[in-house]
Amino acid sequence: MRLPNFPQPLARVLRRLPALPASASLVALLNLVAWKSLKDLDWAPLRGRRFCVHLRDTGLRAYFSVSRHGFVTEVNEQADVTFTATTEDFARLALRVDDPDTLFFNRRLLIEGNTDLGLRVKNMLDAVELETVMQHLPAALSRVVANVRLKAQQREIAGAH
Amino acid sequence: MLPEPLLELICPAGSLPALKAAVDHGADGVYLGLKDNTNARNFSGLNFDEKSLAEGIRYAQAKGRKVLMALNTYPQPATLSRWHAAVDKATELGVDAVILADPGLMAYANRTHPDLRLHLSVQGSATSYEAVNFYRERFGIRRAVLPRVLSLPQVENVIRNTEAEIELFGFGGLCVMVEGRCLLSSYACGDSPNTFGACSPGHAVRWQQTDKGMETRLNGILIDRYADNEKAGYPTLCKGRFEVQGDTYYALEEPTSLNTLEMLPEMHRLGVAAIKIEGRQRSPAYVAQVTQVWRAAIDAVKKSAATFAVQPAWHAQLDKISEGSMHTLGAYYRPWK
Amino acid sequence: MEMMKLSLGPLLYYWSREDTLAFYGEAAGWPVDIIYLGETVCSRRHLIRVQDWLDLAATLADTGKEVVLSSQTLIESESDLKMLRKLVGQGRFKVEANEFGAVRLCAEAKLPFVAGPTLNVYNPETLAMLSESGAVRWVPPVEMPRDMIAAMPVPENVETEVFAYGRLPLAFSARCFTARHYNLQKDDCQFKCLEHPDGLTLRTREAQDFLTLNGIQTQSGKVHSLAHRYADLDGSKVDVLRLSPQLRHMGRVVEVFRQLADGALNAKDAPGRLDRLIPGQPYDGY
Repeated sequence: MRLPNFPQPLARVLRRLPALPASASLVALLNLVAWKSLKDLDWAPLRGRRFCVHLRDTGLRAYFSVSRHGFVTEVNEQADVTFTATTEDFARLALRVDDPDTLFFNRRLLIEGNTDLGLRVKNMLDAVELETVMQHLPAALSRVVANVRLKAQQREIAGAH
Repeated sequence: MLPEPLLELICPAGSLPALKAAVDHGADGVYLGLKDNTNARNFSGLNFDEKSLAEGIRYAQAKGRKVLMALNTYPQPATLSRWHAAVDKATELGVDAVILADPGLMAYANRTHPDLRLHLSVQGSATSYEAVNFYRERFGIRRAVLPRVLSLPQVENVIRNTEAEIELFGFGGLCVMVEGRCLLSSYACGDSPNTFGACSPGHAVRWQQTDKGMETRLNGILIDRYADNEKAGYPTLCKGRFEVQGDTYYALEEPTSLNTLEMLPEMHRLGVAAIKIEGRQRSPAYVAQVTQVWRAAIDAVKKSAATFAVQPAWHAQLDKISEGSMHTLGAYYRPWK
Repeated sequence: MEMMKLSLGPLLYYWSREDTLAFYGEAAGWPVDIIYLGETVCSRRHLIRVQDWLDLAATLADTGKEVVLSSQTLIESESDLKMLRKLVGQGRFKVEANEFGAVRLCAEAKLPFVAGPTLNVYNPETLAMLSESGAVRWVPPVEMPRDMIAAMPVPENVETEVFAYGRLPLAFSARCFTARHYNLQKDDCQFKCLEHPDGLTLRTREAQDFLTLNGIQTQSGKVHSLAHRYADLDGSKVDVLRLSPQLRHMGRVVEVFRQLADGALNAKDAPGRLDRLIPGQPYDGY
């Protein structure tokens, strides 16, 4: 089951950052689309921890940590915990179409390293309301994301019948 | 007086979005816990603080739904006040009931908040009406959640012999051990559900992709190793593969989920007060999907138990999000034992 | 300090009738103060029936032992309750209550009882409530650490008994894992437990001994032994040490603990003495 076309505004953002290393591109993207809705979470226990998001399909690995002002690229490419999944599955998680446990059971999501840290991040993100995220997205992007999510959910329901 | 409505749907909430998903999709009640070891889903980053709890109660009660707060671990001498404070807070914020396992804590609740409605948690391990009636006589519990160990005729025998309402697990992760009587996690890593509030806590779990497959370890002990095409289970000891007399197999239980949809008419007939959905550790997406299916199923059985039939789409939707993507009737169906 | 008492815990395994009766015949002569009798694990184990346990209780009591009748830990059916009522109804011996149905029946009958390890007594309020209901002794959950037991305010008339020797009973299930190993259903288990008088060893896929299957009960793979940490018991409030039955060498295990309790054996020499008597690796985890 595939998501509809990759949201164009996201693609445009990615294209704007071709010269930067992979980590920096992804971190810039995260800061742009997600930081506003995530900044009020309790990041204190995660200060100084290093994360890696590994896109299984592209092989891209982004290393970053969280500061008071947003996500920061980890230049020495080391991580306390690594999340591995395909780009599409990360998107499905972000859109709340799938839940992480389901992807884990089906071997589509792997959490390596400090498991407690990984679960903490997962649970913190779950506690953010999707509306909050949508409100903080750039307006054009917000509409696209809502549309993609709706279509993905309709496919889920159609798929189950 | 009208009898209590039967077959309430009680859904899990590990966060405010999960609570809203449950309420929006038709749960009659949600159960939740605080961000500490006073409840049996004490995972980092999960559960409610005072602010989100207050908002959750407001949200649910405004729509006529109930909020049940799990305080179902066993208080220990040095930290007893934490459990007491949690009971006080639950009362102050107006939860509809607290779900307790420890008799000492029930005594405290009775003494301090005589009007607070008490439910006996599954962690209390009450499997007979004699045990349920003990809690009922001493502490006035109004409802008991039965461990997932009895067959349906045995459940019926409990219901016939107690005035307490009986709540059963209907769906979700399946404890193969009697709840409240399992120290496997404690033996392996020092933390058990009874005291720490979690089995296989994150700090002791390691997943690692190796040449032989993905390995799951608890405090260094190999629970299982999965080939690339194999589905994985939770990192709990009861779902691991081990060797006994030369055979390597799921010695205790396969990674499966409990799913009792097809038993709903019988549960309805027996007068089961509520069906509980497991999964406070799961995301809002899971809560939304499970609640949707079970709401439809319970409505269908209440409308006409005689013509009730499990829709294939219900199973399809539930199996997709289940551990092991398989389901079982568990102990309700005797041959499982 | 009062003299440390020793108890022989309830037999957790399923042995032949001859082995069981021979075991208790010998136990009458062992230096234990208290003997717990009864089937705590599985209602299908029928070679020794409730009436046999009661007869055995009378015989052992005549030799001067304190006898306690242990109740079944997982009660599922009406016939389980019937057995429980018979155990409580005898009226002469104390009962070890291993779930709250037994507590209710003992309190009702005003029969003094021992609060067993599966009652999950972790705090003083619960212990006080049980004491008021007739508990004269409590056995902390086997996971309860030494420091927590030490921090527990215990009512004056209540003794503290700790699980001191044997594989730790860790979990109970509706499912029989021994039957499952043989691809049998519990209702038709062919009493396979009889073939495993010290349980079935469960190893990890890296060949590490980890757990022991004993019917519906899961035990530790290692053999818990407080003898290896006996010095730590000095000045503790423990009144009774529970030794859990094993088929062979039990009398000699009791002897080692008796000598430790009497001060006739130095704690550091105990592990050496137990070495050849233990059916597995020793463990002193909690």
